[in-house]
Amino acid sequence: MSAPSRLRLALRDLGAGAAFGSMVVSGQLPVWTVAAFALSLVFALLGWRVFAKRAKATAVLLLGMAGLLGFSVYVGQLDLVVAACSFAGLIAGHRMLSTPEARTDGQVQLAGLLMVAGGAALSGELIFAVFLVAFCVFASLSMGLAVVEAAVPEGEPLPVRSVVRPLSVGLLFAVSGAVAFFILFPRLNWNVAARRASPGLGATTGLSDTVRLGGAGTLKSNPRVVLRAHITPDPGVDQLGSYWVARTYDTFDGQEWTSVGGPKRSRQRVTLRPGGESSLHQRIELLPAYGARTLVALETPTRMGNAVAHTASGNRRTSLMELGGGEVRFVDAGLGYSYEATSLPPEEDASTKMTEAELGQLLALPDRLDPRVAELARTVLDGEKEPLAAARKLSSWLQREYAYTLELQGDVEDPLADFLFVRKAGHCEHFATALTLMLRTQGFSARLASGFFGGERSDEDYILRAGDAHAWTHVLVPDRGFVTVDATPPGNRASQSMAALQLLTGLYETLESHWRSAVVDFSLRDQMDVAQRFIRPPRDSGRSSTRLPPARVWGVALLAGLVTYGTWRFLAARLSAPRPHTATRLVDTVERMLREAGVRPHEGETLEDLTARLVREHHSLAEPLAPVTRRYLEARFGQRPLEAGEAERLLTPLRRYLEARRAPAPSSGAGSQRSAS
Amino acid sequence: MNQPARALVSAPTVSSARSILERIAAHLSRVVQGKETQARLTVTSLIAGGHLLLEDVPGVGKTTLAEALARSCGLSFARIQFTADLMPADILGAQVFHASSATFSFRQGPIFRQLVLADELNRAPPRTQSALLEGMAQGQVSLDGNTHPLPSPFTVVATQNPLDLTGTYPLPDSQLDRFLMRLSLGHPSPEVEARLLITRGRTPPVEELEPVTGPEELLGLRGLASELRMDAAVAEYVVRLAKATREHGDIERGASTRAVLAVGAAARAHALWEGRDFVTPGDVRAVLVPCLAHRLMLRSNVQGAAAREEASHLLEELSRKVAAPR
Repeated sequence: MSAPSRLRLALRDLGAGAAFGSMVVSGQLPVWTVAAFALSLVFALLGWRVFAKRAKATAVLLLGMAGLLGFSVYVGQLDLVVAACSFAGLIAGHRMLSTPEARTDGQVQLAGLLMVAGGAALSGELIFAVFLVAFCVFASLSMGLAVVEAAVPEGEPLPVRSVVRPLSVGLLFAVSGAVAFFILFPRLNWNVAARRASPGLGATTGLSDTVRLGGAGTLKSNPRVVLRAHITPDPGVDQLGSYWVARTYDTFDGQEWTSVGGPKRSRQRVTLRPGGESSLHQRIELLPAYGARTLVALETPTRMGNAVAHTASGNRRTSLMELGGGEVRFVDAGLGYSYEATSLPPEEDASTKMTEAELGQLLALPDRLDPRVAELARTVLDGEKEPLAAARKLSSWLQREYAYTLELQGDVEDPLADFLFVRKAGHCEHFATALTLMLRTQGFSARLASGFFGGERSDEDYILRAGDAHAWTHVLVPDRGFVTVDATPPGNRASQSMAALQLLTGLYETLESHWRSAVVDFSLRDQMDVAQRFIRPPRDSGRSSTRLPPARVWGVALLAGLVTYGTWRFLAARLSAPRPHTATRLVDTVERMLREAGVRPHEGETLEDLTARLVREHHSLAEPLAPVTRRYLEARFGQRPLEAGEAERLLTPLRRYLEARRAPAPSSGAGSQRSAS
Repeated sequence: MNQPARALVSAPTVSSARSILERIAAHLSRVVQGKETQARLTVTSLIAGGHLLLEDVPGVGKTTLAEALARSCGLSFARIQFTADLMPADILGAQVFHASSATFSFRQGPIFRQLVLADELNRAPPRTQSALLEGMAQGQVSLDGNTHPLPSPFTVVATQNPLDLTGTYPLPDSQLDRFLMRLSLGHPSPEVEARLLITRGRTPPVEELEPVTGPEELLGLRGLASELRMDAAVAEYVVRLAKATREHGDIERGASTRAVLAVGAAARAHALWEGRDFVTPGDVRAVLVPCLAHRLMLRSNVQGAAAREEASHLLEELSRKVAAPR
């Protein structure tokens, strides 16, 4: 197989890879299918068509895999759509490793189309769009080269250089046109086929029902934005530094925290505690990267409601359910959510709206608590009786004596004792657990709270990243209620990812946000609204109303007309202009080289005339120039086209000659130049 | 213009043709020294199948050139001195009555040769000139109701004295159009003249020239030349040049379509000289002045050699201004 054919096959396989990637970004494909396809792609790109001689025999493998996928669907482990997408990928992989011929090419391309459609059904992420465009580019280039290859007689080289450029230009126009068409014209939501949506790659699993010490330690470095909140009144600071509570835990069994109390009835609006005059109103959007259903709000939330779930088939209102530990959860599943919440500053929460069971748990200790914990707390507190002062004293001591680390070892039998007496280093959950339990050993009521800490300004909103996930302690203070005390060293509370990574992620988040609002969620109604806003005359009470569109409409229309006319003129000129002959480009190059070397032809003297004159004059330039001219004439007027790379080969001796002339030179060179110019 | 995709003539054929042409030109240069360009154009005109008009003062070698061409090509040759009393029959021939058999037979005139030198064509009356020109155009002679084909190949080399026009009958412009090329030999350079003086006795006479080719081979060369490829861009270039002569302010009547065809034929023959099987713009420019200068009618009142010189200048100017295809 010739090298150009390898290029075409590589483009074909890369196109299939991009199509498969558009499904992978949904995060729903089984790992083994991803691995199988990835292996096929690597083999195909290396040119190892391992199924070439045993296409039929190896097709049995596909049957086995189809059976496996079918079984997964039957037992409910896999969605039917996901299974179909996975099988399309496996077929493509098998075909890529088979003998490259017209039939397998078509099958790979068709499977690519199916996979892209599958990717659209599984997710509407920005990365999907990237893979979609990549598939379009690779597959189109591959098909274009296939057409050229079919036209080239057997054994002749494929003119890759001369076809890839116009192909690429055409493709650029096609992709631009497709993007413009996609944005300008109304469309159906492409995600209607999916039964369940996925937050995609890089999303955090969010909050769970329990907090297990020694769990997810890398969350701190995850810069993906999980929450966006508009706060009224606007705090007006760049770094908010607030606690965003999701839920609290009151029961610790030595390994993990849980809450007592069961679910209550679902309703549209949940009131957790009475409001106050200094309430902060938040319009919160939980982004797909959040990946959980627990509502988050600034401490201390009083009310939550007006919740909307962003699902695959559109937005819909959703009810809320209150669970134990003050957790409020969305009833319906969705990619993301938006809702409103109001919160009081923590110090103003005097209520302890808790059940007896919940109150009783605030002093509960695990059965096998290391006795050294109580002893240590007693020593540190040194007779302190006031809960808040005791909590703060313990907190300061913990921050001073213990180190913060995200490096966690495997499960240990007693993680608290391990933290306090062995490693003396841990992350926020260790600090919060230690503080809570040490307080409880001394008879102070306390619980663990989890959520986020921080709040970074982004335009007029505040954002939280996955790395801002945090745990802290609520200590119950008589007449004041729960007061937040954070034992984690201050510098380690918020996200600790690299600034550059945050910047890149921020950029991605912005793009994704625009993608969602301008493409995925941009419906026909949105388009109509934009058009209405654009052409509606401005309201001006002081002047009589007019039905004419505002001046900006005329301005834009004029501009659009001018741009269209200019583009048309430009394209018309470009298209009607004769394409320069390949040989003509050779002449242009030669003449430019001669000009740069100071050799100028007489008026009206062509390269042919100049060469003939130099030959007559026995000029030294004639020797390197004559072969170039002779070959140019053959190519231009004698129908013997230049071969690929021939022009460069022809020019080499001439270039060497002219460079030698230009070098600090003997006087004879000057004489030659005079006679030539 | 549609052209076949492949080259019409194989390279070896073109290569051998070039060597034949060079041998003919070398023969001519032996007897007409210092006139390599004219010798070359003379052969070009012969290969292009055209007639040649040599216009110059007496004594520069016009007759010698024509005779040398005939001998080199192995062609039958006749020289006709045109004079004021020359009659058509003196050229064409006549019906001769044979008293013994009481029959007429046709006695061929000197025109029935493969190469005819019409010396000082403008001295003969128009009727006689027309007799020759008809033969040149038709390739046959009509006499007393009978048609007599001329030999093949048939080429006329005519001469004119452009200076001494008194008592002559200058050829009408329409008749000049029948000549493919007009050449002027001019006086040889002083060096050549000096060499002629020195080597006069040793210069081989025309009679000693041996043929380097024959009539059949010459016809083959003509066929070969006519088949050389002319790219559409080159053809368009010829047409643009012709159009420029028609639109030039100093030219009353520009190149005719026959002139365009003549340029094309001559350019093909020139390309054969260069050993190519295709025509380039350079071939066109090389034959432009010899092919067109005598066909243009200028607005100025100059006559004779001055008119030809002005026409040549105008054509050279046009060939510089009309952009050649690249």
